[in-house]
Amino acid sequence: MADDTRKKTTTKAVATVTLTIDGKSITVPKGTTVLEAALQNGIHIPTFCWHPKLKSVGACRMCYVEIEKMAKLQVSCATEAVEGMVVHTDSDNVKQGRRAIIEFILLNHPLDCPTCDKGGECDLQNLTFEHGYDDSRFDFRKSRFVDEGSTSTFDDVRIGPEIVLNRNRCILCYKCVRANKEAFGEYDLGAYERGNITQINSAPGEKVDNPFSGNLVEICPVGALTNSDWRYKIRVWLTKTTPSLCNFTSSGTNTLFYKEDHQNKIFRTTSRRNDDIDDGWLPDVTRYGYQIVNSPDRLRVPLIKKEGKQVEATWDEALDLIHKHFTEISDKMGSVCIGGLASPSLDNKSLYAFSKFFRTVLNSNNVDFRSDYRMLPPDAETVFSRLCSRPFKIADIDDSDVVFVFGSDLLREHPNEYLRMRKACNFNNARVFVVNPYATKAADIAALEAVYKVGSDEQAINGICLAAIDDNLVSGPKAKALAEKLSPLTLPETSKACGITVDDLRILARALAESRKISFMCGEIVTRSKERETITTAVSNLNLLFGLENKGQVASLARYANSGGACKLGVQPSPAPAVKDKLKEIWGGYPECEPHNTDSMLALMKKEEVAGFFVIGANPIMLHPDRQFVREGLEKLDFLVACDLFESETTEIADVVLPLCSWAEYDGEYVNLEGRSQRAERAVKPMFESRPGCEIIKLITAKYEKSLGEDEQLTSEIQQLLDLDSALPLPTEFMAVKVVVEDKQDEGFEIPLFVTDDPHHCGHLTEKSPSLTSFADDAYLEIGPDLAERLKLKEGDNVRVESPVGKVIVPARISEHIENDVVLIPRNFSSTPITSLLMRKKRIDRVTLSKVDS
Amino acid sequence: MFYSPVITNGSEAAASDKLHLFKYVEDSEQYKLMTFESHGGYKAWKKVLTEMQPQQVIDEVKNSGLRGRGGAGFPTGMKWGFVPKDSSKPRYLCCNADESEPGTCKDRVLMERDPHGVIEGMAIGAYAIGCHTMFIYIRGEFNHCIDRMEQAVEEAYAKGHLGKNIHGSGYDLDMIVHTGGGAYICGEETALLNSLEGERGMSRIRPPFPAIEGLYACPTIVNNVESLAAVPHIINRGAEWYRTLGTEKSAGTKLFSLSGHVKRPGNYEVELGFSLKKLLYDPAYGGGILGDKKLKGVIPGGASTPFLTPEMIDVNLDYESLTAVGSMLGSGAVIVFDEDTCIVWVIQKLIQFFKHESCGKCTPCREGTGWLKQIIDRIEAGGGQPGDIEKIEEICGNILGRTICPLGDAAVMPIQSSIRLWREEWQYHIEHGKCMVKTEFPFK
Amino acid sequence: MKEVLKAVVNVFLKMPLGFMVTIKYFFRKPVTLDYPHKKRPMAPRYRGRHYLERYDDGTERCVCCGLCAAACPADAIYMEPEENEKGERRARIYEINLLRCIFCGFCEEACPEEAIFLGHEYEFSDYERSSFLWTKEQMLVQHPRKDNPFKRIYRRVRKAYGAPDKIS
Repeated sequence: MADDTRKKTTTKAVATVTLTIDGKSITVPKGTTVLEAALQNGIHIPTFCWHPKLKSVGACRMCYVEIEKMAKLQVSCATEAVEGMVVHTDSDNVKQGRRAIIEFILLNHPLDCPTCDKGGECDLQNLTFEHGYDDSRFDFRKSRFVDEGSTSTFDDVRIGPEIVLNRNRCILCYKCVRANKEAFGEYDLGAYERGNITQINSAPGEKVDNPFSGNLVEICPVGALTNSDWRYKIRVWLTKTTPSLCNFTSSGTNTLFYKEDHQNKIFRTTSRRNDDIDDGWLPDVTRYGYQIVNSPDRLRVPLIKKEGKQVEATWDEALDLIHKHFTEISDKMGSVCIGGLASPSLDNKSLYAFSKFFRTVLNSNNVDFRSDYRMLPPDAETVFSRLCSRPFKIADIDDSDVVFVFGSDLLREHPNEYLRMRKACNFNNARVFVVNPYATKAADIAALEAVYKVGSDEQAINGICLAAIDDNLVSGPKAKALAEKLSPLTLPETSKACGITVDDLRILARALAESRKISFMCGEIVTRSKERETITTAVSNLNLLFGLENKGQVASLARYANSGGACKLGVQPSPAPAVKDKLKEIWGGYPECEPHNTDSMLALMKKEEVAGFFVIGANPIMLHPDRQFVREGLEKLDFLVACDLFESETTEIADVVLPLCSWAEYDGEYVNLEGRSQRAERAVKPMFESRPGCEIIKLITAKYEKSLGEDEQLTSEIQQLLDLDSALPLPTEFMAVKVVVEDKQDEGFEIPLFVTDDPHHCGHLTEKSPSLTSFADDAYLEIGPDLAERLKLKEGDNVRVESPVGKVIVPARISEHIENDVVLIPRNFSSTPITSLLMRKKRIDRVTLSKVDS
Repeated sequence: MFYSPVITNGSEAAASDKLHLFKYVEDSEQYKLMTFESHGGYKAWKKVLTEMQPQQVIDEVKNSGLRGRGGAGFPTGMKWGFVPKDSSKPRYLCCNADESEPGTCKDRVLMERDPHGVIEGMAIGAYAIGCHTMFIYIRGEFNHCIDRMEQAVEEAYAKGHLGKNIHGSGYDLDMIVHTGGGAYICGEETALLNSLEGERGMSRIRPPFPAIEGLYACPTIVNNVESLAAVPHIINRGAEWYRTLGTEKSAGTKLFSLSGHVKRPGNYEVELGFSLKKLLYDPAYGGGILGDKKLKGVIPGGASTPFLTPEMIDVNLDYESLTAVGSMLGSGAVIVFDEDTCIVWVIQKLIQFFKHESCGKCTPCREGTGWLKQIIDRIEAGGGQPGDIEKIEEICGNILGRTICPLGDAAVMPIQSSIRLWREEWQYHIEHGKCMVKTEFPFK
Repeated sequence: MKEVLKAVVNVFLKMPLGFMVTIKYFFRKPVTLDYPHKKRPMAPRYRGRHYLERYDDGTERCVCCGLCAAACPADAIYMEPEENEKGERRARIYEINLLRCIFCGFCEEACPEEAIFLGHEYEFSDYERSSFLWTKEQMLVQHPRKDNPFKRIYRRVRKAYGAPDKIS
């Protein structure tokens, strides 16, 4: 399946060269190395230090080939293919060269394969078998790195929460250090000492805990870097692999599960390289997120509330109860009084069945999948939803010459796109511009990182437009039309309002005007904002002014594994018109009642106008940016059904709790942020009594003595919807941007708070993964050094964070890259209810900070 | 101020019309700008700025036949010509003053005693390739050179030889003095560039060559101190004059650092094509072997070049003649061993150096030098085993020509040549566990 | 008379002759043993029950590498590794199903740590099938080791690495 997606799409004709490798005539694009040419044509050349996504360094010297008319053996990874070259990869000379290299590498390699977890999938083992001598001529004591004071006979050093290093095994291919630097932009791992005592180690006093550190283990050709996740768990030859996807990030990163059938357990996740999506890099949240599947804390059986207490029940009892209560409610108050909230991480079939159940069985339009947005717009055809529906290609970031990130901390929200952006910058000399209310970790590659005043998002964009008009960077009529709409705003005023200097605005405008291919990405600062409509209107003006869509892509990136699918399948109160029409056609009808989104449903619950609620996979109490509001709403309900993997704040107050399957336990299809539908296969049998979402919905439907249709029927209906082009065009005319002055703030609360994801976590489930919690296991306050100094806070100090509606106490963590006065708190930990600080009606939540004396 | 007591033939050079590099080397004030200018300094620089186009400078140097004095002997003018003319990227010139080849100490004398000569040469080179920022990468241990060089750069800026709009020509040139961390590998041009960028000093794979993609991925020229120091003289006196020096293919003069068992170790400037025998035995130069012993062997071009035996020293010191007898001119460090030197001991010292200085990037050099050192240490300690020589030869064969940079070749070439020339001595050492010759050294 | 004589000859001469072999064995040591009161010593390379060895200081030799399980043609070995308090790899579970085991000795040959070997004991009868699932604790002994020529290369590797090998 992955193979056809891996094919590179060549857009323009490129010059080619023809060379002969082992008597085979091969034509490759100019600039290809001999090694790549050989590999593309099925000729095997062994390597250690070469990686398809990193620059060649020629360190291991394993890829020797003999090239006619060249005296010495050449390293194929760094030799460019030239017209008429004649290459031999299998001559005696080459074989001798490789054998010598293997011998050199094995000189100081400990051969502790029995205790090494790489045994069985080790490049060095395999290549020694293939090319090496059967005996060693080295008769000295092997060099060994021993830590002082260690009594262990194993020379392992833990260099990060997850990563264990054994320097003896290291063959110094430098792949880890290079990947860390070139691909991830992290510097926590390096090479120290020199010559044959060179060692790879973490930077002094630092831990290797970057959000991509798991990749270092995966690309290590020997067992020098291993992780706790896989360490001493099982031998690789006892496992089987299942292709799957990441269920946490929205890119749909391709993964491979290593599982063991008898234990019904997944042992690790590795990448399944797909150049269109992930380039073979996995963020740690993807790599270690699978551990939630094996967690012993999973909900085991259905629970029903009896006399205020949740007790265990059979599936049948629970389903009967749901049917009984839902029928009661709809009989009494009408079916409009039942609402549903699905998780955007569920597969297509579950989401579609959910929506179909509500719309055809309950005859209600109250379905939604967005649980963490404040003040959702009611209408489907807002500029915002238009922006969200625009097509986007991850691979197109690579060859963009300008990558523009607006209102997003890409590393936290979209780690894959973050890596693509780095790649575009490091390998293709793209210029990166980040416009965000706080400085992010992309600062080191950014040509310009403009930090605007919190809450002046639309002004920042207006400022760029005005700077372009001021500099005559755009055609006259356009400039005039927009200037009219934006009047009476002027450049200096706007610059002052948004806090970006006029010079910086001019630089940004020039970059947008001059770019030939652009990738413009909006993130959560825009989508979660209460004023998202205003901001996206400004973005739409910007798009029109510079014609961005004509020379690239402009999109607001979806946030969850199947947000894209949820939109396309119409799991929202007002689907896009095309989707709505299609659904009407398929179902032969469509409920006419008024649609309510999560926000308005919760408001109606408070008024007791919504009495029944069905939550599947979501945890609104934890993620919705107003904890009090959600809790009050849900507690007023007559009947709440919650399906989830784990006990959560929402399942705690539910009347019926159903154990849900994770994505690894059933076959499912997911639509990533590009709109690409991909399949994750079932790796293990459902844990305990849990069931997939689709099956749960079907069982409930069966209680109504109705049917949603057979599996094949659902699949074909879903396919019809996915095939539909539901993208809405961005506005083609300039619109006035209503500049929103921030609402009056409560006295004394001044520091803006952003509630985001920890770089190692996503949503409410990942805190059940032991590996991910070893990076971060509780909420913390991320604060810039300046602000910390003013407040006399030190790393690790407990801080009382207070907002008008709540307070929490969290330890401080000082982040060097944050320069202005904002604070960040991750929302992924149920032990610290961060959302209780937030109010949904505020554009910006502000807090006060005070140190807690212990 | 500290004046390093190095024997030179400065007085001879001062009297000679041909020797130019060491002309004022014995003048203790030469490092000062005033003295330097009074000796005709910066004349060439002004001439270049006012009268010559960059291409003319390149042509002049090309015609002079000046070849790189760092070791490889690549024609300097041709190297400058490789810089792409149409590239929009900035260009850099980097002077390689990381002189760490064992036995070589010529650049040090130039930088200590005639720093402005180096700056002038660099400035002309920079002008030729159109570079506006030039670097000099000085070996970290050369504290004195660093002080002198920094002082000289300051003076040159103050006098307007460097900086903005130099001498009203509209040409800007900045110079940065960078000190290394004391790693032999950083004398290799790509490792030097890595180190200059702040990376680990490890050589890069070529192509791309630095002239196309060097420092900060921009076209960069890396030249040795001595090559650049010769440039002002070429400009002043013309390529034709320079061609009259030396031999036909190896034009000009060369500094030789004579060390080891000779009576007068020191730096000598001679025309290329000078007789090695004369350099060793002439009283004006080496003055003969220490203690009037017999000569055992000579390394003619720094520790990384193959040995010459007494029968071979009737050779002229130029690139072609030395290649013909199976060695290399290298950096011009002539190391002399008398008859009482055990060749295994010499090799042990050399391999210890190369093992210590191997950067650890590519496998053959990293592991191979370590292994060789262990075997040779064992032989030297008297624990040699039959078959060790064959093993050493095979390991050398596996390193030679298979590494990224020439350090691997440098490490094994003296070993290979010593086994070729003195095999019976190696054999004796292995069989008897002791040296064949009596080893008493005046230095240890 | 002749018959009588013949009979006498038959009885006293020919019959003993015919019983010669029997009579000879009558005076020899018996080939059978008084089993189970007496037991026959086994051939030195006989493969009986499995032992897991310890080092002299009592730590287990087995590092749970899984090679014995991989080599086992009867799939009789099951193991799960763990990290001990020193960060070393050790077996958490090591089980041999003696009902499946065919006593081929492949596990012994595969073992790079010389941790498992097959001893001379051969009596395995029991009343329950479950009691044939031998655990690590049942098999761990400190036992004089066999000198297996296959193991010399492993010993050299360990020596070159400087790993503690308390048994020379």
